[in-house]
Amino acid sequence: MKDKPGYVQVKRRTGAMRIIHWVNVISMIAAIITGLYIAAPYYQALIADPAVDKYVMAWNRWVHFIVAIIFDVTSIIVFYLTFFSRVDRPWGKVIPNKQNLSEFVEVLLNLLTLNRRKKFNSEHNDSFNITFFFIFHFLMIWMLLTGLQMYVHGLESGISSIGAWWPWMLHLVTDWTLPVSSWMVGSTATGANIMDVRIAHHTTMWLLITWVVFHIYYQFWRTIFWKEGDISIIVGGSKYVKIKEDEEA
Amino acid sequence: MSIDKEESVKKLFTAESAQVDTNKGDAYYDELYISCQKRIEELKKLKPLNNRVDFTESIEDQGLERRDFLKWASATTAMLMLPASFTPLVAEAAVLMNRVPVIWVELSDCAGNSEALLRSDGPKIDEIILDIISLEFHETLQAASGHQAEKQMDEAMEHFKGKYLLFVEGAVPLGMNGQFGTIGAKGETFVDHLHRAAEGAAAVVAVGSCATYGGIPAAAPNPTDSVGVMDVVKGKPIINIPACPANPSNMVGVILHFVLTGTIPELDSLLRPKFAFGYRIHDNCERRAHFDAGEYVEEWGDEGAKNNFCLYKVGCKGPMTFNNCSIIRYNEGVNWPIGVGRGCIGCSEPDFWDKYAYERPMSNANIKAPTGGVEKTVDEFGLGLLTAAGIGIGIHAAASAVAGKREDGGEY
Ligand code: SF4
Ligand code: SF4
Repeated sequence: MKDKPGYVQVKRRTGAMRIIHWVNVISMIAAIITGLYIAAPYYQALIADPAVDKYVMAWNRWVHFIVAIIFDVTSIIVFYLTFFSRVDRPWGKVIPNKQNLSEFVEVLLNLLTLNRRKKFNSEHNDSFNITFFFIFHFLMIWMLLTGLQMYVHGLESGISSIGAWWPWMLHLVTDWTLPVSSWMVGSTATGANIMDVRIAHHTTMWLLITWVVFHIYYQFWRTIFWKEGDISIIVGGSKYVKIKEDEEA
Repeated sequence: MSIDKEESVKKLFTAESAQVDTNKGDAYYDELYISCQKRIEELKKLKPLNNRVDFTESIEDQGLERRDFLKWASATTAMLMLPASFTPLVAEAAVLMNRVPVIWVELSDCAGNSEALLRSDGPKIDEIILDIISLEFHETLQAASGHQAEKQMDEAMEHFKGKYLLFVEGAVPLGMNGQFGTIGAKGETFVDHLHRAAEGAAAVVAVGSCATYGGIPAAAPNPTDSVGVMDVVKGKPIINIPACPANPSNMVGVILHFVLTGTIPELDSLLRPKFAFGYRIHDNCERRAHFDAGEYVEEWGDEGAKNNFCLYKVGCKGPMTFNNCSIIRYNEGVNWPIGVGRGCIGCSEPDFWDKYAYERPMSNANIKAPTGGVEKTVDEFGLGLLTAAGIGIGIHAAASAVAGKREDGGEY
């Protein structure tokens, strides 16, 4: 690829990372559409439908679960890449040290001053964005674990087609979400209940949607005002940074 | 709920599943059979307490035949998840139920569990059995009152120390030093009353959702600081039989299990007997096919209701509720809530009054804040959040556009 004169191309995302991003986008849309149906079925099964293909709720739940599993797998990969990627290893940017904090503040100021002030290196992922993504992954993990808790709650027999280890493992990994949800939702009863997990799961969906709305806006905003082609990071894998006058020579 | 005080939560981490292993091998059941036999022989040597009526006679008085009784015994054996060979033992244990003393105390409650235990369209075997259990003390049912009643309770507790089953109905108010509820001529608080009664009990059985989790009295904003029995009584075996009201069959099951084996049944993480609460309503509901098909009652009395469609959209909480009423039903199997076209309100789960008992799916229902603050549905909250974000973004975008124009041809 040829560089634009005066600009240098910065490689930001490998092909695998970009694929994961778009897989996540599709999974998330599917999860929201089906999740809202599971929470409160918002369209009616056609009563005249022949009995043979009337399986609307079951399909919704199936899709919801499949995208959850896809999300599980991509999350594990993303977690790995955070530490060991060839291109971007963003984990260092969430550590609240002096350098990261000042960068965080600078990027925030850039957003608040409507791009009048831009005193940070925008070549690589900055602390602000990384922290923002960290929040996303945190919410996603919470979503996955509360979701799996509700799933294993319905496996009360303690058996599954792949063996008893599966519900056992899910209980081990997700049971703590019960008391934590009860505490978050504010339960006055003795004993934790699964409804609080449901409320927490559903509320977190709204937090995630709000996150996505801001994410899309912010990436567009950067692209338009920074004029560095940020949006193509997730499409073409790289962005362009203007070479500073003094460095050019 | 504070995280640290939760015994039940700790138990969660050690709970394996809600399933009772019904295939423990011949050796196990043979041994159990022999020990049960021994226990029954010993109980037979004891005299019936309180000159209670003879069980066999009272069955005949009510016009029921021995055949009915044996049918009941084999059904109960299955409910307790014992092999069929135990049926004669269960039948014998039922006859001997008047040898095990029961003390029944009522705290913050509506006496609904006592009602459930006593009322039915005609006396059936469960009810007769509950009639003949040796109820040494029951505030609502006994004739004695005041000092007399207190004396009776003291005597019963003294006489059967370490042997009696304590049934508790109702929540325990802890607020204002327990002064929200007092009982008896001396004005003893419910907490003290419970502590005193639990002291000499062989095991404590909490019946109904109030005794189990605090139930209605503990619903938001819980002005009396009510809690369930398991938050108050420590160091005693506790069995919870929640539901509103608790199913008499499950009470009989627990007593029978105790009479037969001298032990309490296998419990789940909320200390509920697995034989009764190891089932999810939804998994054994007759309307489940309609749920999967996406066929729902949209409003009361509509075409869907006439066709017995699933009640999820009018608020059924069967998918989150564990109880055996979808299997054994109420009133000797006559019917149960979903059978009559009402959704399950999750009465056997903690916090059911605030979190389960509404006629809408969760996301559309107003959930009370624990402090009694503004009620909102989760979706309203979410849309509010989204609107706020949208307004913020709109302002920022407009400002950026204006500022950007002014800067055009500028530095960037
Ligand atoms: S009526 Fe309730 S318990 Fe029955 S299938 Fe529908 S949601 Fe489940
Ligand atoms: S159907 Fe649900 S609310 Fe009704 S008695 Fe059974 S567990 Fe309780």
